[in-house]
Amino acid sequence: MNFLLHIIATIAMGAPNILGFNMLFGRGKILHFGPLGVSIVAAYATFLVVMATGSYPLGIVCGLAATCSISAFFAWLSLRLDADGLGVMSIAMHLGLLAVVLNWSSLTRGALGIPRVPRLPFLDSTGDFALLGTCVAALWAWMLWQVDRGTFGRKLIALSEHEWHAKSLGIDRSRVHMLAFMIAGIGSLLGVLQYHQYLYLVHPSDFGFPAFIFFVTVVVAGGPGSVRGCVVSLILLSLLREGLRFVPMSPDVLGPLRLILFGAILFVAVWLRRDTLFPKQRTV
Amino acid sequence: MSILSLSHISLTIGEHRILSDVSCSVDQGEIVGLIGPNGSGKTTLFNVISGFLAPTHGTMHLQGSDITNISSSRRAQMGIGRVFQNFGIFREMTLEENVLVALEALPKADRMQRGNLRKIAGETLEMVGLASHAKQKAGSLSGGQMRLLEIARTLMSGKEVFLLDEPTAGVSPKMTQQVADLILQLQKQGKTVLVVEHDLPFISHVCDRVIVMDTGKVALTGKPEDVKKSKELRELYFGADPTT
Repeated sequence: MNFLLHIIATIAMGAPNILGFNMLFGRGKILHFGPLGVSIVAAYATFLVVMATGSYPLGIVCGLAATCSISAFFAWLSLRLDADGLGVMSIAMHLGLLAVVLNWSSLTRGALGIPRVPRLPFLDSTGDFALLGTCVAALWAWMLWQVDRGTFGRKLIALSEHEWHAKSLGIDRSRVHMLAFMIAGIGSLLGVLQYHQYLYLVHPSDFGFPAFIFFVTVVVAGGPGSVRGCVVSLILLSLLREGLRFVPMSPDVLGPLRLILFGAILFVAVWLRRDTLFPKQRTV
Repeated sequence: MSILSLSHISLTIGEHRILSDVSCSVDQGEIVGLIGPNGSGKTTLFNVISGFLAPTHGTMHLQGSDITNISSSRRAQMGIGRVFQNFGIFREMTLEENVLVALEALPKADRMQRGNLRKIAGETLEMVGLASHAKQKAGSLSGGQMRLLEIARTLMSGKEVFLLDEPTAGVSPKMTQQVADLILQLQKQGKTVLVVEHDLPFISHVCDRVIVMDTGKVALTGKPEDVKKSKELRELYFGADPTT
């Protein structure tokens, strides 16, 4: 039972971040590969303040401010760089931020991470996290579904199909990108706020490249832009990931095997969705 | 009264001079045809007016306001509508969403004044006979239907100046007549239209005035019947005056 609750909790806690990424990468066709860069900033800003002051409200306010700042920076990059340039730059930003938390040991404790993260009083057991995580994820998915089907979603699709055509209607690309990155950033913050309390730990390995590959795999396999597809894909791939723990193999083999498996799923998903995944270049 | 005026507009990209000292003005309610051989700078001039390309020199005014350094989306909100040469519709959206997205991009006051946008979108599709396809993806339409949808969407967005880039390209003669009727309907509402076309009979039918462009410059301007008779136009289109 506890393992089932653990799986529900981990899926639910990952959902806000992945759904935000789905909106940017899947729906907006913005080649932003730095969602975990945003998570790094959100997690460290929040929990460093919490650890230093013991105040969650203050930590959340600082985390929100830092998340909005880094999201605004990524949005600014998306407005100034071509799609491929943004892809490369966002990966570089992610790796740069990871390097900072790994090497600024006096502040972040480097590879040791931040241990003994306190939990909020109402979050005690795995069941509490599963319940809260599911409620937050359901609310967030419903909200993003509404956004996707509404005015903002249409503007995002219009910009992803043809920037000039969208602008000629009066759609302000800067405003739409800024808002989309902010929404995705808040999704990151919602995820890290729960996840690191659950683990009692903020660790750099949670923000590594394998985690990013998992994000991309979920979005691509679920159908880029589809909130429902993304949720179903997240559940199935999480079950697969957790299910692999029960394969009778040594961890030395199982770790790389899991990466290869997810790489293969990603390859097949990209291949099958190659016509809809990336923005089509049309000329005027 | 001049609604749009261009003053000494030049555009250089790299070492190529695409537009050279283009000056013209368009009056409110006027339909002006922009013609000229391929590569003469007609679409580029539309891109400059829409704000997608910044002129190297010169200024532009819309209803007396300087719009030279204003973004393309802001210009659209100020009243410049555009129909693109290669169908500016969004193929992944339904027909209804295609019209809705244009209405939702209007300034807030304008949106509030219009009320139910979904109803207006339905009326727009009704106007061009596409209401029965409202929930269909726009990518499944024929070229002519896409063109009608795009024009109807632009018309309903309440712009003051319309830039139509080859609106009859790839359209059947029957639909060409529909497009002409829509343009003339706009004029009755006091709107201003600039239209790029190669179809000279169409231009003669709908335009009050014609501007002929060649190598990025205004080569000739006048009433359609006068321009059609001019030796310069024949030379531009046929290389030499075919009557001689």
